Amino acid sequence: MTKFWIISDVAETSYELLGKARELLGDQEGIITVYLIGNETTGQEAIGYGADLVKLMELPPDTTWEQYAPVLVQEAQASQPEMILVGATRRGKDLAAQLAALLDSPCVTECKSIEYDDGKVILKRIIYGGLAEKIIECCQFPVIATVASRTFEKWTAKDASREGTIEKLDLPAGVNVQVVERRSKPQEVVNIKDASIVVGVGRGFSEQDELKMAEELAKVLGGEVACSRPIAEDLHWLPEDRYIGISGQIIKPNVYIAAGISGQVQHVYGIRDAKTIIAIDKNENAPIFQVADYYIVGDLKEVLPALTEAVKEVKAANKG
Amino acid sequence: MKKVVACYKWVIDEADIRVEEKDHSLNFERAKYKISEYDRNAIEAGALLNEEKGCEFLAVTCGPNVEASLKDVLSRGPASISYVNEEWLADVDSSVTSKILAGIIKKIGNVDLVICGEGSSDDYSQQVGPRLAALLGYASVTFVNKLDITEEGIKVERKLEDGVEVLEVKGPAVVTVLPDINKPRIPSLKQILAAKKKPTEKISLKEIGFDINASQPKLKTLSISGTVMERKNMQINTDGLSIKDAALKLVKQLNADGSLA
Repeated sequence: MTKFWIISDVAETSYELLGKARELLGDQEGIITVYLIGNETTGQEAIGYGADLVKLMELPPDTTWEQYAPVLVQEAQASQPEMILVGATRRGKDLAAQLAALLDSPCVTECKSIEYDDGKVILKRIIYGGLAEKIIECCQFPVIATVASRTFEKWTAKDASREGTIEKLDLPAGVNVQVVERRSKPQEVVNIKDASIVVGVGRGFSEQDELKMAEELAKVLGGEVACSRPIAEDLHWLPEDRYIGISGQIIKPNVYIAAGISGQVQHVYGIRDAKTIIAIDKNENAPIFQVADYYIVGDLKEVLPALTEAVKEVKAANKG
Repeated sequence: MKKVVACYKWVIDEADIRVEEKDHSLNFERAKYKISEYDRNAIEAGALLNEEKGCEFLAVTCGPNVEASLKDVLSRGPASISYVNEEWLADVDSSVTSKILAGIIKKIGNVDLVICGEGSSDDYSQQVGPRLAALLGYASVTFVNKLDITEEGIKVERKLEDGVEVLEVKGPAVVTVLPDINKPRIPSLKQILAAKKKPTEKISLKEIGFDINASQPKLKTLSISGTVMERKNMQINTDGLSIKDAALKLVKQLNADGSLA
Protein backbone atom coordinates (compact mmCIF):
# COMPACT_ATOMS: atom_id res chain seq x y z
CA MET A 1 0.00 0.00 0.00
CA THR A 2 1.31 3.40 -0.96
CA LYS A 3 1.88 5.80 1.87
CA PHE A 4 2.13 9.52 1.45
CA TRP A 5 3.07 12.04 4.06
CA ILE A 6 2.37 15.72 4.18
CA ILE A 7 4.06 18.02 6.68
CA SER A 8 3.25 21.69 6.96
CA ASP A 9 3.39 24.45 9.54
CA VAL A 10 0.67 26.23 7.54
CA ALA A 11 -2.59 24.26 7.45
CA GLU A 12 -3.81 25.85 4.21
CA THR A 13 -0.70 24.62 2.36
CA SER A 14 -1.27 21.10 3.63
CA TYR A 15 -4.71 21.09 1.97
CA GLU A 16 -3.08 22.01 -1.35
CA LEU A 17 -0.48 19.28 -0.90
CA LEU A 18 -3.32 16.87 -0.15
CA GLY A 19 -4.78 17.75 -3.54
CA LYS A 20 -1.50 16.76 -5.18
CA ALA A 21 -1.12 13.60 -3.09
CA ARG A 22 -4.69 12.51 -3.97
CA GLU A 23 -3.94 13.11 -7.64
CA LEU A 24 -0.70 11.09 -7.49
CA LEU A 25 -2.42 8.31 -5.62
CA GLY A 26 -5.26 8.10 -8.14
CA ASP A 27 -7.07 4.81 -7.83
CA GLN A 28 -4.25 3.10 -5.96
CA GLU A 29 -4.89 1.98 -2.46
CA GLY A 30 -3.04 4.22 -0.09
CA ILE A 31 -2.93 6.14 3.13
CA ILE A 32 -2.22 9.84 3.39
CA THR A 33 -0.96 11.11 6.71
CA VAL A 34 -0.86 14.83 7.37
CA TYR A 35 1.32 16.45 10.03
CA LEU A 36 0.15 19.97 10.62
CA ILE A 37 0.01 22.74 13.18
CA GLY A 38 -3.58 23.02 14.27
CA ASN A 39 -6.43 21.76 16.38
CA GLU A 40 -9.28 19.24 15.94
CA THR A 41 -11.11 21.57 13.57
CA THR A 42 -8.06 21.99 11.34
CA GLY A 43 -7.57 18.25 11.48
CA GLN A 44 -11.15 17.57 10.41
CA GLU A 45 -10.74 20.07 7.57
CA ALA A 46 -7.65 18.17 6.40
CA ILE A 47 -9.61 14.93 6.44
CA GLY A 48 -12.27 16.58 4.31
CA TYR A 49 -9.53 17.54 1.86
CA GLY A 50 -8.31 13.97 1.58
CA ALA A 51 -6.25 13.05 4.65
CA ASP A 52 -6.74 9.62 6.24
CA LEU A 53 -4.71 10.26 9.35
CA VAL A 54 -3.91 13.63 10.87
CA LYS A 55 -1.18 14.16 13.44
CA LEU A 56 -1.55 17.49 15.14
CA MET A 57 1.55 19.48 15.97
CA GLU A 58 1.96 22.73 17.82
CA LEU A 59 4.21 25.71 17.35
CA PRO A 60 6.12 24.99 20.56
CA PRO A 61 6.23 28.07 22.81
CA ASP A 62 9.76 27.40 24.06
CA THR A 63 11.55 25.83 21.11
CA THR A 64 11.48 25.73 17.32
CA TRP A 65 9.02 23.71 15.27
CA GLU A 66 11.88 21.96 13.51
CA GLN A 67 12.61 20.12 16.76
CA TYR A 68 9.95 17.64 15.61
CA ALA A 69 12.57 16.25 13.18
CA PRO A 70 13.77 13.30 15.31
CA VAL A 71 10.17 12.27 16.11
CA LEU A 72 9.28 12.36 12.44
CA VAL A 73 12.35 10.28 11.63
CA GLN A 74 11.17 7.57 14.02
CA GLU A 75 7.68 7.66 12.53
CA ALA A 76 9.07 7.51 8.99
CA GLN A 77 11.27 4.54 9.81
CA ALA A 78 8.24 2.75 11.24
CA SER A 79 5.70 3.58 8.54
CA GLN A 80 7.98 3.82 5.44
CA PRO A 81 6.22 6.52 3.42
CA GLU A 82 7.00 6.63 -0.26
CA MET A 83 6.80 10.37 -0.61
CA ILE A 84 6.93 13.21 1.90
CA LEU A 85 5.60 16.56 0.74
CA VAL A 86 6.56 19.47 2.97
CA GLY A 87 5.13 22.98 2.83
CA ALA A 88 8.04 25.16 1.70
CA THR A 89 7.97 27.82 4.35
CA ARG A 90 11.33 28.68 5.89
CA ARG A 91 10.56 26.35 8.79
CA GLY A 92 9.39 23.67 6.37
CA LYS A 93 12.53 23.82 4.26
CA ASP A 94 14.74 23.54 7.34
CA LEU A 95 12.78 20.57 8.68
CA ALA A 96 12.66 18.82 5.29
CA ALA A 97 16.42 19.04 4.80
CA GLN A 98 17.13 17.73 8.31
CA LEU A 99 14.70 14.91 7.76
CA ALA A 100 16.35 14.10 4.43
CA ALA A 101 19.79 13.96 6.03
CA LEU A 102 18.59 11.80 8.92
CA LEU A 103 16.77 9.38 6.61
CA ASP A 104 19.56 9.61 4.01
CA SER A 105 16.93 10.58 1.49
CA PRO A 106 16.76 12.74 -1.60
CA CYS A 107 15.10 16.11 -1.14
CA VAL A 108 13.95 18.49 -3.84
CA THR A 109 13.38 22.10 -2.83
CA GLU A 110 10.38 24.12 -3.99
CA CYS A 111 9.05 21.80 -6.65
CA LYS A 112 6.86 23.21 -9.38
CA SER A 113 5.58 19.85 -10.52
CA ILE A 114 5.68 16.27 -9.32
CA GLU A 115 4.63 13.35 -11.52
CA TYR A 116 5.08 9.62 -11.62
CA ASP A 117 6.66 8.09 -14.68
CA ASP A 118 7.13 4.35 -14.77
CA GLY A 119 7.88 3.97 -11.09
CA LYS A 120 10.13 7.01 -10.97
CA VAL A 121 9.28 10.41 -9.69
CA ILE A 122 9.88 13.34 -12.03
CA LEU A 123 10.13 16.74 -10.40
CA LYS A 124 10.61 20.18 -11.79
CA ARG A 125 12.25 23.13 -10.12
CA ILE A 126 13.76 26.49 -10.90
CA ILE A 127 17.48 27.22 -10.78
CA TYR A 128 19.88 30.10 -11.54
CA GLY A 129 17.64 32.72 -9.96
CA GLY A 130 14.74 31.92 -12.26
CA LEU A 131 16.73 31.71 -15.48
CA ALA A 132 16.22 28.01 -16.03
CA GLU A 133 14.08 25.04 -15.17
CA LYS A 134 15.57 21.75 -14.13
CA ILE A 135 13.84 18.42 -14.52
CA ILE A 136 14.95 15.87 -11.99
CA GLU A 137 14.46 12.14 -11.77
CA CYS A 138 14.35 10.35 -8.52
CA CYS A 139 13.96 6.65 -7.94
CA GLN A 140 15.04 6.39 -4.34
CA PHE A 141 12.37 6.40 -1.66
CA PRO A 142 11.19 8.12 0.39
CA VAL A 143 11.52 11.14 -1.80
CA ILE A 144 11.10 14.37 0.09
CA ALA A 145 9.86 17.42 -1.79
CA THR A 146 9.13 20.89 -0.49
CA VAL A 147 6.37 22.82 -2.19
CA ALA A 148 5.46 26.48 -1.82
CA SER A 149 1.91 27.54 -1.05
CA ARG A 150 -0.37 27.97 -4.04
CA THR A 151 1.62 25.62 -6.23
CA PHE A 152 -1.07 22.96 -6.29
CA GLU A 153 -4.85 23.06 -6.11
CA LYS A 154 -6.88 21.69 -3.25
CA TRP A 155 -8.73 18.43 -3.79
CA THR A 156 -11.87 19.10 -5.77
CA ALA A 157 -13.63 16.10 -4.26
CA LYS A 158 -13.60 17.71 -0.81
CA ASP A 159 -16.08 16.04 1.45
CA ALA A 160 -16.65 17.47 4.91
CA SER A 161 -18.15 14.17 6.09
CA ARG A 162 -15.08 12.08 5.14
CA GLU A 163 -13.83 10.03 8.02
CA GLY A 164 -10.33 9.78 9.33
CA THR A 165 -8.27 9.65 12.48
CA ILE A 166 -6.85 12.58 14.38
CA GLU A 167 -3.99 12.11 16.82
CA LYS A 168 -1.53 14.33 18.63
CA LEU A 169 2.21 14.28 17.97
CA ASP A 170 4.48 14.85 20.94
CA LEU A 171 7.65 16.89 20.86
CA PRO A 172 10.89 15.30 22.04
CA ALA A 173 12.09 16.47 25.44
CA GLY A 174 15.39 18.09 26.28
CA VAL A 175 16.04 20.23 23.28
CA ASN A 176 19.00 22.60 23.06
CA VAL A 177 17.28 25.43 21.20
CA GLN A 178 15.33 27.88 23.37
CA VAL A 179 12.92 30.48 22.10
CA VAL A 180 13.62 33.73 23.95
CA GLU A 181 10.98 35.69 22.14
CA ARG A 182 8.69 35.58 19.13
CA ARG A 183 7.73 38.84 17.51
CA SER A 184 5.00 38.53 14.96
CA LYS A 185 5.22 40.69 11.93
CA PRO A 186 2.77 43.58 11.82
CA GLN A 187 -0.01 42.22 9.67
CA GLU A 188 -0.19 43.81 6.27
CA VAL A 189 -3.74 44.84 5.55
CA VAL A 190 -3.48 43.40 2.08
CA ASN A 191 -1.65 40.49 0.66
CA ILE A 192 -0.23 41.45 -2.73
CA LYS A 193 -0.62 37.83 -3.77
CA ASP A 194 -4.38 38.35 -3.67
CA ALA A 195 -4.39 41.51 -5.77
CA SER A 196 -5.64 41.04 -9.32
CA ILE A 197 -3.73 44.09 -10.50
CA VAL A 198 -0.27 44.94 -9.22
CA VAL A 199 1.89 47.95 -10.02
CA GLY A 200 5.56 47.15 -9.36
CA VAL A 201 8.04 49.95 -8.79
CA GLY A 202 11.79 49.76 -9.24
CA ARG A 203 14.99 51.73 -9.35
CA GLY A 204 13.60 53.86 -12.18
CA PHE A 205 12.01 56.02 -9.49
CA SER A 206 14.58 58.56 -8.36
CA GLU A 207 12.91 59.54 -5.11
CA GLN A 208 10.40 58.08 -2.71
CA ASP A 209 7.92 60.86 -3.30
CA GLU A 210 7.50 59.75 -6.90
CA LEU A 211 5.95 56.47 -5.73
CA LYS A 212 2.72 58.44 -5.34
CA MET A 213 2.25 58.24 -9.10
CA ALA A 214 2.31 54.46 -8.91
CA GLU A 215 0.01 54.48 -5.90
CA GLU A 216 -2.53 56.62 -7.76
CA LEU A 217 -2.48 54.30 -10.75
CA ALA A 218 -2.90 51.28 -8.48
CA LYS A 219 -5.77 53.02 -6.73
CA VAL A 220 -7.81 53.75 -9.85
CA LEU A 221 -7.18 50.20 -11.03
CA GLY A 222 -8.22 48.74 -7.69
CA GLY A 223 -4.79 47.17 -7.38
CA GLU A 224 -1.77 47.21 -5.09
CA VAL A 225 1.75 48.59 -5.24
CA ALA A 226 4.69 46.20 -5.03
CA CYS A 227 8.38 46.60 -5.79
CA SER A 228 11.73 45.11 -6.73
CA ARG A 229 14.10 43.86 -4.05
CA PRO A 230 16.37 46.97 -3.78
CA ILE A 231 13.36 49.24 -3.16
CA ALA A 232 12.49 47.19 -0.07
CA GLU A 233 15.84 45.92 1.20
CA ASP A 234 18.26 48.73 0.31
CA LEU A 235 16.07 51.83 0.17
CA HIS A 236 13.32 50.66 2.58
CA TRP A 237 10.71 52.65 0.63
CA LEU A 238 8.21 49.80 0.89
CA PRO A 239 7.87 46.93 3.38
CA GLU A 240 9.65 43.68 2.55
CA ASP A 241 6.29 41.95 2.15
CA ARG A 242 5.87 43.86 -1.04
CA TYR A 243 8.98 42.91 -2.90
CA ILE A 244 8.54 40.57 -5.79
CA GLY A 245 11.08 38.01 -6.88
CA ILE A 246 12.34 34.51 -6.46
CA SER A 247 13.24 35.11 -2.82
CA GLY A 248 10.26 37.39 -2.17
CA GLN A 249 6.67 37.29 -3.32
CA ILE A 250 5.70 35.23 -6.33
CA ILE A 251 2.52 36.71 -7.72
CA LYS A 252 -0.01 35.67 -10.34
CA PRO A 253 -2.14 38.74 -10.94
CA ASN A 254 -4.34 39.39 -13.94
CA VAL A 255 -2.25 42.40 -14.79
CA TYR A 256 1.25 43.31 -13.67
CA ILE A 257 2.56 46.76 -14.47
CA ALA A 258 6.34 47.05 -14.10
CA ALA A 259 7.23 50.71 -13.67
CA GLY A 260 10.92 51.60 -13.78
CA ILE A 261 11.98 47.99 -13.26
CA SER A 262 14.90 46.88 -15.40
CA GLY A 263 13.93 43.23 -15.37
CA GLN A 264 16.57 41.17 -13.56
CA VAL A 265 16.12 37.41 -13.74
CA GLN A 266 15.27 37.19 -10.05
CA HIS A 267 12.46 39.75 -10.27
CA VAL A 268 11.00 38.40 -13.49
CA TYR A 269 10.66 35.03 -11.85
CA GLY A 270 8.18 36.48 -9.41
CA ILE A 271 5.83 37.70 -12.17
CA ARG A 272 6.12 35.05 -14.82
CA ASP A 273 2.67 33.68 -14.12
CA ALA A 274 0.96 37.05 -14.44
CA LYS A 275 -1.71 36.88 -17.11
CA THR A 276 -0.69 40.14 -18.72
CA ILE A 277 2.58 41.98 -18.16
CA ILE A 278 2.93 45.65 -18.93
CA ALA A 279 6.25 47.46 -18.69
CA ILE A 280 7.18 51.10 -18.59
CA ASP A 281 10.78 52.23 -18.68
CA LYS A 282 12.69 55.01 -20.31
CA ASN A 283 15.49 52.70 -21.45
CA GLU A 284 14.31 51.15 -24.71
CA ASN A 285 16.71 48.24 -24.22
CA ALA A 286 15.46 47.35 -20.76
CA PRO A 287 15.28 43.54 -20.44
CA ILE A 288 11.81 43.89 -18.87
CA PHE A 289 10.37 44.62 -22.34
CA GLN A 290 11.35 41.13 -23.48
CA VAL A 291 8.99 39.64 -20.95
CA ALA A 292 6.19 42.15 -21.39
CA ASP A 293 2.99 41.81 -23.41
CA TYR A 294 2.59 45.54 -23.84
CA TYR A 295 5.11 48.24 -23.15
CA ILE A 296 5.61 51.94 -23.32
CA VAL A 297 9.06 53.43 -23.63
CA GLY A 298 8.98 56.69 -21.77
CA ASP A 299 9.42 58.75 -18.66
CA LEU A 300 7.51 57.44 -15.65
CA LYS A 301 6.53 60.96 -14.69
CA GLU A 302 4.71 61.27 -17.97
CA VAL A 303 3.45 57.73 -18.52
CA LEU A 304 2.04 56.93 -15.07
CA PRO A 305 -0.25 60.00 -14.78
CA ALA A 306 -1.37 59.44 -18.39
CA LEU A 307 -2.30 55.85 -17.56
CA THR A 308 -4.17 56.96 -14.45
CA GLU A 309 -6.21 59.40 -16.50
CA ALA A 310 -6.84 56.82 -19.22
CA VAL A 311 -8.10 54.29 -16.68
CA LYS A 312 -10.50 56.85 -15.22
CA GLU A 313 -11.77 57.66 -18.69
CA VAL A 314 -12.26 54.06 -19.79
CA LYS A 315 -13.87 53.06 -16.50
CA ALA A 316 -16.26 56.00 -16.73
CA ALA A 317 -17.18 54.95 -20.27
CA ASN A 318 -17.78 51.38 -19.07
CA LYS A 319 -20.25 52.61 -16.49
CA GLY A 320 -21.97 54.99 -18.85
CA MET B 1 38.53 30.21 22.04
CA LYS B 2 35.47 29.38 19.97
CA LYS B 3 36.06 27.82 16.59
CA VAL B 4 33.92 29.09 13.72
CA VAL B 5 33.75 27.62 10.21
CA ALA B 6 32.10 29.22 7.18
CA CYS B 7 31.07 27.02 4.25
CA TYR B 8 30.96 28.43 0.77
CA LYS B 9 30.23 27.33 -2.78
CA TRP B 10 32.15 28.42 -5.86
CA VAL B 11 29.45 28.91 -8.50
CA ILE B 12 28.90 30.07 -12.04
CA ASP B 13 27.74 33.68 -12.12
CA GLU B 14 24.13 33.35 -13.31
CA ALA B 15 24.21 36.85 -14.79
CA ASP B 16 26.70 35.55 -17.42
CA ILE B 17 24.49 32.70 -18.61
CA ARG B 18 22.69 33.19 -21.90
CA VAL B 19 19.56 31.35 -22.94
CA GLU B 20 19.70 30.25 -26.59
CA GLU B 21 16.48 31.17 -28.31
CA LYS B 22 16.39 28.26 -30.72
CA ASP B 23 16.41 25.40 -28.22
CA HIS B 24 16.33 27.10 -24.81
CA SER B 25 19.68 25.60 -23.94
CA LEU B 26 22.05 27.48 -21.67
CA ASN B 27 25.20 29.00 -23.02
CA PHE B 28 27.99 29.16 -20.44
CA GLU B 29 30.72 30.42 -22.79
CA ARG B 30 31.07 33.77 -21.10
CA ALA B 31 30.33 32.55 -17.62
CA LYS B 32 32.76 33.36 -14.84
CA TYR B 33 32.82 31.88 -11.37
CA LYS B 34 32.10 33.71 -8.14
CA ILE B 35 31.64 33.06 -4.44
CA SER B 36 27.94 32.26 -4.13
CA GLU B 37 26.19 35.52 -3.11
CA TYR B 38 24.88 34.60 0.33
CA ASP B 39 28.04 32.69 1.20
CA ARG B 40 29.78 36.08 1.14
CA ASN B 41 27.54 37.01 4.04
CA ALA B 42 28.46 33.75 5.78
CA ILE B 43 32.17 34.47 5.36
CA GLU B 44 31.68 38.05 6.56
CA ALA B 45 29.79 36.85 9.64
CA GLY B 46 32.71 34.57 10.50
CA ALA B 47 35.25 37.34 9.89
CA LEU B 48 33.33 39.64 12.25
CA LEU B 49 33.24 36.98 14.98
CA ASN B 50 37.00 36.70 14.58
CA GLU B 51 37.63 40.45 14.71
CA GLU B 52 35.09 41.36 17.36
CA LYS B 53 34.94 38.25 19.56
CA GLY B 54 38.35 36.72 19.00
CA CYS B 55 36.98 33.49 17.55
CA GLU B 56 39.18 31.26 15.48
CA PHE B 57 37.79 31.46 11.94
CA LEU B 58 38.26 28.97 9.10
CA ALA B 59 36.54 28.28 5.79
CA VAL B 60 35.64 25.05 4.03
CA THR B 61 34.40 24.20 0.56
CA CYS B 62 34.10 21.38 -1.94
CA GLY B 63 33.46 21.20 -5.65
CA PRO B 64 35.19 21.12 -9.02
CA ASN B 65 37.88 23.79 -9.60
CA VAL B 66 37.51 25.27 -6.13
CA GLU B 67 41.23 26.06 -6.06
CA ALA B 68 40.49 29.15 -8.14
CA SER B 69 38.43 30.48 -5.23
CA LEU B 70 40.97 30.18 -2.44
CA LYS B 71 42.76 33.54 -2.64
CA ASP B 72 39.53 35.51 -2.98
CA VAL B 73 38.03 33.81 0.06
CA LEU B 74 41.19 34.05 2.17
CA SER B 75 41.27 37.82 1.61
CA ARG B 76 37.85 38.00 3.29
CA GLY B 77 38.97 36.87 6.70
CA PRO B 78 39.43 33.12 7.32
CA ALA B 79 42.82 31.98 8.68
CA SER B 80 42.83 28.97 6.37
CA ILE B 81 40.68 26.93 4.01
CA SER B 82 40.19 23.17 3.99
CA TYR B 83 38.72 21.86 0.78
CA VAL B 84 37.89 18.86 -1.36
CA ASN B 85 38.51 19.42 -5.06
CA GLU B 86 36.96 16.76 -7.30
CA GLU B 87 35.76 17.04 -10.89
CA TRP B 88 32.75 14.79 -10.37
CA LEU B 89 31.35 17.19 -7.78
CA ALA B 90 30.10 19.33 -10.68
CA ASP B 91 26.78 17.51 -10.72
CA VAL B 92 25.99 16.33 -7.23
CA ASP B 93 23.03 17.07 -5.00
CA SER B 94 22.90 18.53 -1.50
CA SER B 95 23.11 15.09 0.09
CA VAL B 96 26.62 14.53 -1.30
CA THR B 97 27.82 18.10 -0.67
CA SER B 98 26.66 18.03 2.94
CA LYS B 99 28.32 14.66 3.61
CA ILE B 100 31.65 15.91 2.28
CA LEU B 101 31.45 19.20 4.19
CA ALA B 102 30.47 17.35 7.35
CA GLY B 103 33.52 15.12 6.84
CA ILE B 104 35.84 18.12 6.52
CA ILE B 105 34.32 19.80 9.58
CA LYS B 106 34.69 16.62 11.65
CA LYS B 107 38.31 16.37 10.54
CA ILE B 108 38.95 19.96 11.66
CA GLY B 109 37.39 18.98 14.98
CA ASN B 110 35.88 20.87 17.91
CA VAL B 111 33.97 23.30 15.73
CA ASP B 112 31.50 25.37 17.77
CA LEU B 113 29.69 27.16 15.00
CA VAL B 114 29.21 26.48 11.29
CA ILE B 115 27.92 29.33 9.13
CA CYS B 116 26.37 28.82 5.68
CA GLY B 117 24.55 31.14 3.30
CA GLU B 118 20.76 30.69 3.15
CA GLY B 119 21.12 29.01 -0.24
CA SER B 120 23.43 28.91 -3.24
CA SER B 121 23.12 31.29 -6.19
CA ASP B 122 22.91 28.44 -8.68
CA ASP B 123 20.74 25.65 -7.27
CA TYR B 124 19.29 27.47 -4.26
CA SER B 125 18.25 24.20 -2.68
CA GLN B 126 18.79 25.64 0.80
CA GLN B 127 19.51 22.19 2.18
CA VAL B 128 23.21 22.05 2.97
CA GLY B 129 22.96 24.02 6.25
CA PRO B 130 20.23 21.94 7.93
CA ARG B 131 21.60 18.71 6.44
CA LEU B 132 25.01 19.53 7.93
CA ALA B 133 23.40 20.16 11.30
CA ALA B 134 21.67 16.78 11.17
CA LEU B 135 24.83 14.95 10.07
CA LEU B 136 27.01 16.63 12.70
CA GLY B 137 24.40 16.35 15.46
CA TYR B 138 24.42 20.15 15.81
CA ALA B 139 21.41 22.41 16.29
CA SER B 140 20.04 23.80 13.02
CA VAL B 141 19.11 27.47 12.96
CA THR B 142 18.23 28.86 9.56
CA PHE B 143 17.47 32.28 8.00
CA VAL B 144 19.39 34.24 10.60
CA ASN B 145 19.87 38.00 10.32
CA LYS B 146 21.38 38.65 13.76
CA LEU B 147 24.07 36.47 15.27
CA ASP B 148 26.02 36.66 18.48
CA ILE B 149 28.27 34.10 20.10
CA THR B 150 27.94 33.49 23.86
CA GLU B 151 29.71 31.41 26.50
CA GLU B 152 27.26 28.52 26.15
CA GLY B 153 26.53 28.76 22.46
CA ILE B 154 24.89 31.38 20.31
CA LYS B 155 22.06 33.89 20.35
CA VAL B 156 20.33 34.61 17.06
CA GLU B 157 17.35 36.20 15.42
CA ARG B 158 15.80 34.37 12.51
CA LYS B 159 13.42 35.93 10.07
CA LEU B 160 10.41 33.82 9.15
CA GLU B 161 7.29 34.43 7.08
CA ASP B 162 5.21 35.24 10.17
CA GLY B 163 7.77 37.20 12.17
CA VAL B 164 11.02 36.97 14.09
CA GLU B 165 12.22 34.20 16.39
CA VAL B 166 14.87 35.12 18.94
CA LEU B 167 16.71 31.95 19.93
CA GLU B 168 19.41 30.82 22.31
CA VAL B 169 21.27 27.69 21.42
CA LYS B 170 23.32 25.70 23.89
CA GLY B 171 26.15 23.77 22.32
CA PRO B 172 27.33 23.64 18.73
CA ALA B 173 25.14 24.89 15.91
CA VAL B 174 24.88 25.34 12.18
CA VAL B 175 23.32 28.63 11.14
CA THR B 176 22.35 29.82 7.69
CA VAL B 177 22.42 33.57 7.22
CA LEU B 178 20.31 36.01 5.24
CA PRO B 179 21.82 38.73 3.04
CA ASP B 180 20.74 41.49 5.41
CA ILE B 181 22.87 40.15 8.31
CA ASN B 182 25.87 42.20 7.16
CA LYS B 183 27.50 43.91 4.23
CA PRO B 184 30.32 41.71 2.89
CA ARG B 185 33.62 43.58 2.79
CA ILE B 186 35.56 44.50 -0.27
CA PRO B 187 39.01 43.18 0.67
CA SER B 188 41.71 45.80 1.07
CA LEU B 189 45.06 45.54 -0.68
CA LYS B 190 46.60 44.55 2.65
CA GLN B 191 44.04 41.77 3.08
CA ILE B 192 44.65 40.57 -0.46
CA LEU B 193 48.41 40.43 0.11
CA ALA B 194 47.99 38.73 3.49
CA ALA B 195 45.78 36.08 1.84
CA LYS B 196 48.76 34.85 -0.17
CA LYS B 197 50.54 33.78 2.99
CA LYS B 198 47.60 31.94 4.52
CA PRO B 199 47.61 28.13 4.49
CA THR B 200 45.16 25.93 2.60
CA GLU B 201 44.61 22.24 3.02
CA LYS B 202 43.53 19.96 0.22
CA ILE B 203 41.73 16.99 1.66
CA SER B 204 41.15 13.64 -0.03
CA LEU B 205 37.89 11.78 0.20
CA LYS B 206 39.76 8.96 1.87
CA GLU B 207 40.93 11.22 4.69
CA ILE B 208 37.35 12.03 5.61
CA GLY B 209 36.17 8.47 5.15
CA PHE B 210 33.83 9.37 2.31
CA ASP B 211 32.74 6.27 0.41
CA ILE B 212 31.97 7.34 -3.11
CA ASN B 213 29.98 4.19 -3.88
CA ALA B 214 27.80 4.40 -0.81
CA SER B 215 27.13 8.10 -1.32
CA GLN B 216 26.05 8.56 -4.88
CA PRO B 217 23.78 11.50 -5.70
CA LYS B 218 20.15 10.58 -5.10
CA LEU B 219 18.80 12.83 -7.78
CA LYS B 220 19.50 12.74 -11.48
CA THR B 221 19.21 15.83 -13.65
CA LEU B 222 17.28 14.92 -16.79
CA SER B 223 17.37 18.35 -18.41
CA ILE B 224 18.00 22.01 -17.82
CA SER B 225 16.31 24.50 -20.05
CA GLY B 226 16.15 28.26 -20.02
CA THR B 227 12.75 29.59 -19.08
CA VAL B 228 11.26 31.52 -21.93
CA MET B 229 7.99 33.32 -21.53
CA GLU B 230 5.59 33.53 -24.40
CA ARG B 231 4.66 37.18 -24.36
CA LYS B 232 3.29 39.54 -26.99
CA ASN B 233 6.21 42.01 -26.73
CA MET B 234 4.13 44.77 -28.26
CA GLN B 235 5.33 48.35 -27.96
CA ILE B 236 2.37 50.70 -27.69
CA ASN B 237 3.97 54.07 -28.35
CA THR B 238 5.23 53.42 -31.87
CA ASP B 239 4.74 55.51 -35.00
CA GLY B 240 5.01 58.75 -33.08
CA LEU B 241 2.02 58.01 -30.87
CA SER B 242 2.06 60.42 -27.93
CA ILE B 243 2.34 59.10 -24.39
CA LYS B 244 -1.20 60.25 -23.69
CA ASP B 245 -2.62 58.44 -26.70
CA ALA B 246 -0.47 55.39 -26.04
CA ALA B 247 -1.77 55.26 -22.45
CA LEU B 248 -5.34 55.37 -23.68
CA LYS B 249 -4.69 52.76 -26.33
CA LEU B 250 -3.13 50.47 -23.74
CA VAL B 251 -5.96 50.86 -21.25
CA LYS B 252 -8.56 50.23 -23.98
CA GLN B 253 -6.67 47.10 -24.94
CA LEU B 254 -6.73 45.91 -21.31
CA ASN B 255 -10.42 46.71 -21.16
CA ALA B 256 -11.04 44.68 -24.31
CA ASP B 257 -9.02 41.79 -22.83
CA GLY B 258 -11.33 41.90 -19.80
CA SER B 259 -8.41 42.71 -17.53
CA LEU B 260 -9.93 45.77 -15.89
CA ALA B 261 -12.93 44.07 -14.37
